[in-house]
Amino acid sequence: MKVLVHAHDAPNTFLSKYIISYDHKVIAKQFLWLGMVFLAIGGLMAMLIRWTLANPGVPMPFFGHLLFPNSGGVVPPDSYAMLFTEHGTIMIFWAITPILIGAFGNLLIPLQIGARDMIFPTLNMLSFHFTFVSGVIMLLALCTPLGGAAGGWTAYPTLSLNLGSPGAGQTLWAIAIFLFGISSTMGAINYITTVICLRAPGMGYFDMPLAVWGLLLTAILNAIFVPVLGAGGLLLVFDRVFETQYFLAGAAATSGTGDPILFQHVFWIFGHPEVYILILPAWGIVSDLLSFFSRKPAFGYKATALSMCAITVLSTLVYGHHMFTTQMSPLLTQSFMTLTMTISIPSAIFFANWLGTLYKGSIRFTSPMLFSLGVVFVFGLGGLTGLYLGTTTTDFYLHDTYFVVGHFHYTMAASVFLAGFGAIYFWWPKMYGTMLNERLAKAHFWATILPLNGVFMGMMMMGYAGMHRRLYNPFIYDFLKKLIPMNNFVTTCAILMGFAQIFFITNLIWTYFKGEQASDNPWEVGTLEWTTPSPVPHYNFKSIPIVKCGPHELGNPKLTTGRDFQYQTEELVEV
Amino acid sequence: MGFKLLVSLLHVGQVSAGMFSDFITMLTPPEDISTYGHKIMFLFNYITVMNVFYFTLVCIGLFGFSYLYSAKRNKTPEYTYGNRKKQLKVTLIIGLAVFCTVDSVITVTANNDLVNTFWKFPESDDPETIKVQVLAQQWMWHFRLAGNDKVFNTDDDIVTANHLHLPIGKKIVFQLTSKDVIHSFFLPNARVKIDAMPGRISRIWVEFTKSGDFEIACAEMCGTHHYLMKAKMTLYDPDDFQYWESEAAKFAYQENDTGTVDSYWGWKWESNR
Ligand SMILES: [Cu+2]
Repeated sequence: MKVLVHAHDAPNTFLSKYIISYDHKVIAKQFLWLGMVFLAIGGLMAMLIRWTLANPGVPMPFFGHLLFPNSGGVVPPDSYAMLFTEHGTIMIFWAITPILIGAFGNLLIPLQIGARDMIFPTLNMLSFHFTFVSGVIMLLALCTPLGGAAGGWTAYPTLSLNLGSPGAGQTLWAIAIFLFGISSTMGAINYITTVICLRAPGMGYFDMPLAVWGLLLTAILNAIFVPVLGAGGLLLVFDRVFETQYFLAGAAATSGTGDPILFQHVFWIFGHPEVYILILPAWGIVSDLLSFFSRKPAFGYKATALSMCAITVLSTLVYGHHMFTTQMSPLLTQSFMTLTMTISIPSAIFFANWLGTLYKGSIRFTSPMLFSLGVVFVFGLGGLTGLYLGTTTTDFYLHDTYFVVGHFHYTMAASVFLAGFGAIYFWWPKMYGTMLNERLAKAHFWATILPLNGVFMGMMMMGYAGMHRRLYNPFIYDFLKKLIPMNNFVTTCAILMGFAQIFFITNLIWTYFKGEQASDNPWEVGTLEWTTPSPVPHYNFKSIPIVKCGPHELGNPKLTTGRDFQYQTEELVEV
Repeated sequence: MGFKLLVSLLHVGQVSAGMFSDFITMLTPPEDISTYGHKIMFLFNYITVMNVFYFTLVCIGLFGFSYLYSAKRNKTPEYTYGNRKKQLKVTLIIGLAVFCTVDSVITVTANNDLVNTFWKFPESDDPETIKVQVLAQQWMWHFRLAGNDKVFNTDDDIVTANHLHLPIGKKIVFQLTSKDVIHSFFLPNARVKIDAMPGRISRIWVEFTKSGDFEIACAEMCGTHHYLMKAKMTLYDPDDFQYWESEAAKFAYQENDTGTVDSYWGWKWESNR
């Protein structure tokens, strides 16, 4: 079957070039900038949260009076609840997802499989516009009379029903999530179909870079589970607007058939795979970058790809470990604990492969490599600390404490954003044709990763000491009073980490004005995108490339081309 | 001169040792006053030991290889294609090693603890156990003891708000529900928590070992004043508790507002499933 796409000409007006573009590379940039704007918003919210925790009742300098004039610059308790709700929601759905999946999914899938565009360009464009609109609705919800959603990013009923959260904010939150779900589903269908149908001749599944593997598996999870979240969000809207009682129980319930725990099941059936939806692209990207800069093939490429598949399957079977304290049936509790533990087999394989890739390499410490090594470190910590929470009995103590907060920030925030930054530094030349400044990039790395560990390690320690989550003022409790210095330390680290991002912003501005022109293949890598000019021209490839070898052919001693790597379009030089 | 240096060094050592022990105290969980909290801490410590071991391996690989095989030190990388079988073996062995030493051990231990301890409720007709009904609401805790007639939801129930009185050395069984949103009944000193959910009755048992005043927290986000939802727990020696109970029972009839339906929020005690 011959698939006909690419019916669009090179755009020439501003509108068709930058706003309603069908070009996957432009859509990737749109997603990237949207994600970065929301990342900044979510990051500033984190600063407000941290400030409040370290200095309850003290006005925040500068921002405080600007944002909360009525309370003299102090974050009030209801705004605090909105802040942590929006911080979580925005970071997950409008910062990580657009950057890792939207931007790099769009940029890398066609370029790395040798296609000229996504298979459904219109769907692709709509996917971005839906994300944009849903994000705007999310922010507008903050301006409603009673403010935005304040029930946590998990939005557990009955707190998220009218009984616990009156006002339009929570309804708009659910609508925004629903629209976001539509966007993600469209993107996912597009990614899966593109990878299946548009791989260049000669490119088998095991010739794809691991980044494409990660993005493909993410798309599969997205296609299956985001609709579940959408359904949950819609039912929440029904309960709130049309007075159905799917999730209502207790004194206010009249039907007697609703159950708030039903929502938790719906939410976590999506919510656990979501963790992997966010991390799989990062794993793929890191696996590739480690191989590229160790100048040798990825150790156990097939094992890595297969363990990613295994994790994808397992991730759908473990969601119940988020609900141990709701007292599910013993059988469910035991099964979910056991299944959760099996995830460590593929994860261990992963780590073995990453380290195996470094072993006897010839490592070039470029900025993308530093960020990738950083991911190995922080994901190691994040993954291992998951054991405490997958174990039912230790979870009885740690559930809903800062231990959980530290743990999931290590896995979802630290790992994913480090990988995202690494990817930005690595593929910037393909996007904009310029090189980002290496020195600033390395400063950015060190200035980020040191306080980062202070923040998230500190959070886990506080959780171990018993401090529970989402408290406006934890020091109401006598047994938490001793943690004031620790909270100060974590906040200081968080502020330092915030300021470290100035290196990144400076780098973007500096590169815009003074950045050196990138060569076609500055990192000396053989995957298909590096066979094109920088920046990549309209339609990517002059002629569709024919793939003859795998993505990591580096360091082959038999190479006679004068390079230490070979392009995927070259016949494999046998040893 | 040398002596002075030694003294000041000793002083620095003393101060930093003091700071270190302060730091450890700060990060120590609240005192464990339950009969089973140590089981949770044991598992926590076991996982920690294993994690330290495996993370050290990761760090040795990460930093060691970064040092040994930097492009400066190692000009020619080893080309590894062609021995895929070996690679698969290496990785599978590592995966299985982790599973056997960590996962299977903690799964089995945790499962035994659940079955033999945490889920092993005393018989519902055991006269030695104390039964408590808990009603959570935004943003307070209500506690109900059955009173003299040992039947819940009657006029002689001892009902308290935000203050729970219990004896040590006896098994205490809680049944919990919520009036409005989901709350979570957190006993930091016993290392356990259980959600209090509208429309459902959840249960938990605990036995305390030390008398005194302790704190109960709400651990599940339950609205704006979630952070204020704390209760006090006073634990008595059994004799003192009996005295408190008899005194409280005297006032129960007077304090229970028998006129309003709302004060009968209790329910018939649910027997073990
Ligand atoms: Cu509560």
